[in-house]
Amino acid sequence: MYTPVTPAQKITHSLVVALLILGAAAVLVPIVFMITASAMPAGDILAMPYRWIPRGFHTENFIRAIRGNDDSFIFLRNLLNSFIVASVVTLTTVLLSSVTGYGLAKFRFRGRQLVFLMIMATMMIPFEAIMIPLYLVATQLHIQNSYVGLTLPFLVNAFGVFLMRQYLLTYPQEYLDASRIDGAGEIWIFRAVVLPNCIPVIATLSVITFRTQWDTLLWPLLIAQSEKMKTVPLYIVKFAAEKYTDEGAMMAVALLASLPIVILFLTMSKYFIGGAAVYSSRKG
Amino acid sequence: MHGGIERKLARWGIAFVMPAVAFFTLFSFYPIVSAFITSLTNRKILSLLRPDFVGFKNYGYLLGSPDFWNSIRATAVFTLGTFIPLLIFSLVIAFFITGMKRGQRSIQLAYYSPAILSSVVAAVIWLSMLDPRGLANQFLNALLGTHGIDHRWLASSTMVQLSTMLVYFWKYIGYFVIIFITGLASIPPGVYEAATIDGANRWQSFGRITLPLLRPTIAFVSIMSMLQCLKTFSTQYLFTQSGAPGAPINVITLNIYNTGIRDHLIGRASAMSIILFVIMLGFTAVQLRVSGGEKVSY
Repeated sequence: MYTPVTPAQKITHSLVVALLILGAAAVLVPIVFMITASAMPAGDILAMPYRWIPRGFHTENFIRAIRGNDDSFIFLRNLLNSFIVASVVTLTTVLLSSVTGYGLAKFRFRGRQLVFLMIMATMMIPFEAIMIPLYLVATQLHIQNSYVGLTLPFLVNAFGVFLMRQYLLTYPQEYLDASRIDGAGEIWIFRAVVLPNCIPVIATLSVITFRTQWDTLLWPLLIAQSEKMKTVPLYIVKFAAEKYTDEGAMMAVALLASLPIVILFLTMSKYFIGGAAVYSSRKG
Repeated sequence: MHGGIERKLARWGIAFVMPAVAFFTLFSFYPIVSAFITSLTNRKILSLLRPDFVGFKNYGYLLGSPDFWNSIRATAVFTLGTFIPLLIFSLVIAFFITGMKRGQRSIQLAYYSPAILSSVVAAVIWLSMLDPRGLANQFLNALLGTHGIDHRWLASSTMVQLSTMLVYFWKYIGYFVIIFITGLASIPPGVYEAATIDGANRWQSFGRITLPLLRPTIAFVSIMSMLQCLKTFSTQYLFTQSGAPGAPINVITLNIYNTGIRDHLIGRASAMSIILFVIMLGFTAVQLRVSGGEKVSY
């Protein structure tokens, strides 16, 4: 903590704080714009200067956002798809990461180090470089426009395995040995002894995974051509391409698409922001 | 007897890691090898003809293609123009936030808030604000004291590049601020106190203490943000889909997508994928060298 002493230092300090607040306000402008514009009729959104406080709540935008361009209400289906895909991916990522991390952290077998390095090496393969081969495989398996196709490449990732392994490295070996002496089976030990002790790290991993998956655009773009199987990011792209003059409805779509993540953030912000820090320490 | 237990546990360990090994083999290693092999052919989607082996012809074509070099340029401009300001601003903001007496948490939250939104949402918000009649023009005109000038945020080739950088900068600034705050918190306060007693002012302690001790975090953030920028896709895709000119922001990922999926030229798109992979691998190797090499000692 820095403590200003002389008057000059105090002035500088206040100036710095003022600049920080100004910067934060600037960062918030687009978000405030999204929220206010979603509740305004078109005329008010384009008013000069911008009317920061909406006159009442204009629900028309939200209705147009949900109805879509063709009154099909496909947004609701796309929203459901995003939920299903993100939940499945989160579930499998947590499960497979913890099983693998546990195997790597608490068992000795030949090739263990090699397996760990191999998994870490996949972090260097960007999805953008392998999406076309994956797409070709998906077409051969005929899993386009299906939940299997949407989730398959993301069932687990190297970061999740790494996170769980690092966490479990510090888990006391004696607990495992004690359970084994008591005659417990390995799967039971994992489920009843190890997993319950991983709740905080599992929460972090879940939040990161769900959020990342909610954001995924590229893979669904390749794999989901039918309107019914699209996810929210695809709906937004289509809506924006067709209705970019309808700012109110566009901001309503943006707001609706963000709500689930905002709710997740408000309930689990500790793990959310913790996630950023976890990322930063993954090398150390 | 004891050996038997160890062997049994080793088998369990293998059983626990096998599913992930199988997954990564099928969905990471196989595709990258497959991408390389495909890049040596003239494969096309939907074509019933067997693809021919063409050697490094796709690579040769790309190196002589102005369109490909334009993508390299667009990606390089975007990456440099985004990650350098991100690095500098997030470090300075984090440093000043840790010096605040009150409200550290709320101000962190304010800077972090865009990071909660998905990248498509971020792009769509900016798309509205950058509209000729939108907030961005109003704001810039007020700032410059001009009136009614359209700065062509989504139309002119320079401005549309700047606009994509702006979206990215806005979206990620808070994320890196948080990482730097975590890094700053790991510097023992005693070091600063000693410097203050020795008569160092704040700028001196920033330059002489913070920067050197923060080197691993700085290396990490610069490589992380650089790799992120090289992979940028959503903003450029959404902007071009909504009518922005394509060429200035035709970054390499967008080019891979269009070449492979729209133009069905799988071989050529795979060659581009491999080039992107090699570039990123190079940067990762640099990161490992820079941040893994030495430990900081206090």
